[in-house]
Amino acid sequence: MERTFDYSEGFPEVVISTVLAENRSDYNQNAGLKEVQEPIVSAAPEVRKIIERVLELEKDKLYMKVPKYINDDILQIVKEEVQ
Amino acid sequence: MRLRSIILCNFRQFYGKTEEIFLASGATNITIIHGNNGAGKTTLLNAFTWALYEKFSAAFTSPQQLVNKRALHEIKSGKPVECLVEVAFYHDSRRYRVKRICRAYKKMNGIEYSPTELSMWVAGDDGRWMPTHQNPEDIIGRILPPSLHQYFFFDGERIEHIFRDNRKTEIADATKELLGVEVFDRALRHLKAASKSLEEELGNLGDPQTQKLLQDKLKLEEQGDRISKRQLEIAQELEKHQELKRTINSRLLELSGAKELQDRRASLEAQEKHLREQLKQAKVGIKRAINTKGYSFLLSEATAEFRTIVEQLRQKGELPTGITQQFVRELLKQQRCICGGDLKEGTHGFDTIQSWIEKAGIADVEETAIRMSAQIEEIDKQAPEFWREVDRQQGNVKQWRAELSRVETEMDNLKNKLRTNPNENIQQLQQRLDEIEAKISQLQRETGANQHNLDKIQADIEVKVKQIAKQQTNEQKQALAQRRVEATVDAMKRISEVKNRLDKQFRWQLEQRVQEIFSQISFTPYIPKLSEKYELTLVENTTKLEVPVAASTGENQILSLSFIGGIIDRVREWSKSKMHMGPDSSTFPMVMDSPFGSLDEIYRRQVASSLPQLANQLVVLVTKTQWRVEVEEEMTPRIGREYLLVYNSPKPDCEEDSIQLGGVSYPLVRRSPNEFEYTEIVEVERHG
Repeated sequence: MERTFDYSEGFPEVVISTVLAENRSDYNQNAGLKEVQEPIVSAAPEVRKIIERVLELEKDKLYMKVPKYINDDILQIVKEEVQ
Repeated sequence: MRLRSIILCNFRQFYGKTEEIFLASGATNITIIHGNNGAGKTTLLNAFTWALYEKFSAAFTSPQQLVNKRALHEIKSGKPVECLVEVAFYHDSRRYRVKRICRAYKKMNGIEYSPTELSMWVAGDDGRWMPTHQNPEDIIGRILPPSLHQYFFFDGERIEHIFRDNRKTEIADATKELLGVEVFDRALRHLKAASKSLEEELGNLGDPQTQKLLQDKLKLEEQGDRISKRQLEIAQELEKHQELKRTINSRLLELSGAKELQDRRASLEAQEKHLREQLKQAKVGIKRAINTKGYSFLLSEATAEFRTIVEQLRQKGELPTGITQQFVRELLKQQRCICGGDLKEGTHGFDTIQSWIEKAGIADVEETAIRMSAQIEEIDKQAPEFWREVDRQQGNVKQWRAELSRVETEMDNLKNKLRTNPNENIQQLQQRLDEIEAKISQLQRETGANQHNLDKIQADIEVKVKQIAKQQTNEQKQALAQRRVEATVDAMKRISEVKNRLDKQFRWQLEQRVQEIFSQISFTPYIPKLSEKYELTLVENTTKLEVPVAASTGENQILSLSFIGGIIDRVREWSKSKMHMGPDSSTFPMVMDSPFGSLDEIYRRQVASSLPQLANQLVVLVTKTQWRVEVEEEMTPRIGREYLLVYNSPKPDCEEDSIQLGGVSYPLVRRSPNEFEYTEIVEVERHG
């Protein structure tokens, strides 16, 4: 199953592995993730949509060395999102 | 990816087809495979990498000699030996089988190998196996990218080589791919291309075109204004000259000797005006006739054809129609004939009447034929009328032109008389009149030309207005294109920033995890450090100053294992997040050949206890000496499957060897029953 990007669902719960975790440092991973995706979350709706769709597309075609028609597809995404 | 099984056929030491070797998973996730040196441990590790990636580990010598020697010896010349490895695995609750085949042919001058063939089948929930539509390499690449295979299938004795200087970039790239950074890099590259295309579109819609059209329109308008102004001046001049003409004419009247001539002139002028008016009317009349009736004489062929068609219909008896279909239908509906007989369906009478439907005419055809005939009559009458009208008007034109010519001649004569009049005043006045008339004529020509130009300019302006309107639509498009470019650039900036943050965040988390694992295994105070380029080093800071450590092979092996463990652990966690753009894997196998390389007792115990927790599934290939007390103690409770690679030696005096497992002795080396060396895989079943 492909994961789709929908940040409106809120940030994903990151389960910290308990493997060998006796001495695990107490850093706040959720806060870290929040900060990582902040530039996407804070983008204008159309820009955010472009980013989400482009990343999704790139991920789908990651297995190809030279993804086919990707430039056209991305151009189409931008045109569809900015009307 | 969770490995399920592997089958080998004529692959190096393995003669013929092995049984399906199932691999452990779940709570007891360790598969132990025992084998002495040369029995095929490295071969088995490479069977996985060959089947999945067509790659071999550094310890795998002569990779070109894949096919089992005995199988090659037994085959007849020209026939192929099939060497294959089949790996079954689970991914995303689907079952996959991958088979790679290489065929070897015995030729006079040696062995010839065919290119390898990879095929893949997948079974969904219904359990039916189907060949995959996509390229198998692509599917595997998506599940576990080739660049990363060395993290999951590796030679423990050489594990520290992975992190040697010359391979650091490779490791950094592979790590980034696992992390999903590649997706961001590609997104950036492709968005840049999109932004370039959008900018080109914007350039094509450009401003200069609108500007030029607007300038052209302005020029035309200025030109039009100038001409209109001149037209007004001409009108005034004409008026002035007409006035002068009238004054001179009245003065001529006053002069004795000219009056008679002048009266005559006034009469001729009136005649001329009248004739010109009539000529104008006649031309209008001709135009009207052509407009309204001109077509009629072109229709003679069409009307003749219509008459022929109607005549043919008459001869065939289809016109007039006689009885109509409507009439026949009415009879059938009423179920009564005009003779009074019943018309019940199925009776002879009914069938007879019904057959008349085909023969009966359609009422509309007759009606239309009648109506059209009347129209045709009318058209045929119009043609002679048109010619009569045109002839009459042209007769008039001819007559009026002759009269006009006569009037003009008389006028010229009259003027000549005035010009040559002995009375000098009369002469002068006539000359003046001639001049004024010449001027009026010139002005009239000018104003005519101007009017023509004005009409043309007006038409041009209208064209420009339309073009500008179109261009203004372009301007909206331009604004849109501009917004698209801006959105794309913004998206790129943000992706780039996310990538950097992600990279930093992941690297930091990975470093933490590697440090934890390392400190768990190693008794040294050394700390693993991960550089921005994912270069792994060991440092110590006992003196409050971080200095690199000249680590031993053992330390480096633990460091490498910690790194791989850290990567697997972090990616497994990371892949649960929506931000993760790496391969769709949260389950990773680890197939390790001799994982305890140069480690001493303490480290072997630590590694043995840590490994099963790092990977979801562990396949360990060990020699008897590596499988020692502490390793056995740590791993045995988690063994799910256990196998022996039994080496059959053709050497007559070979020293046989065996291993004690769970109190039972198993052979590891034994005499071959024939002249070939080969390895058999035997499953160990421990009891209790």
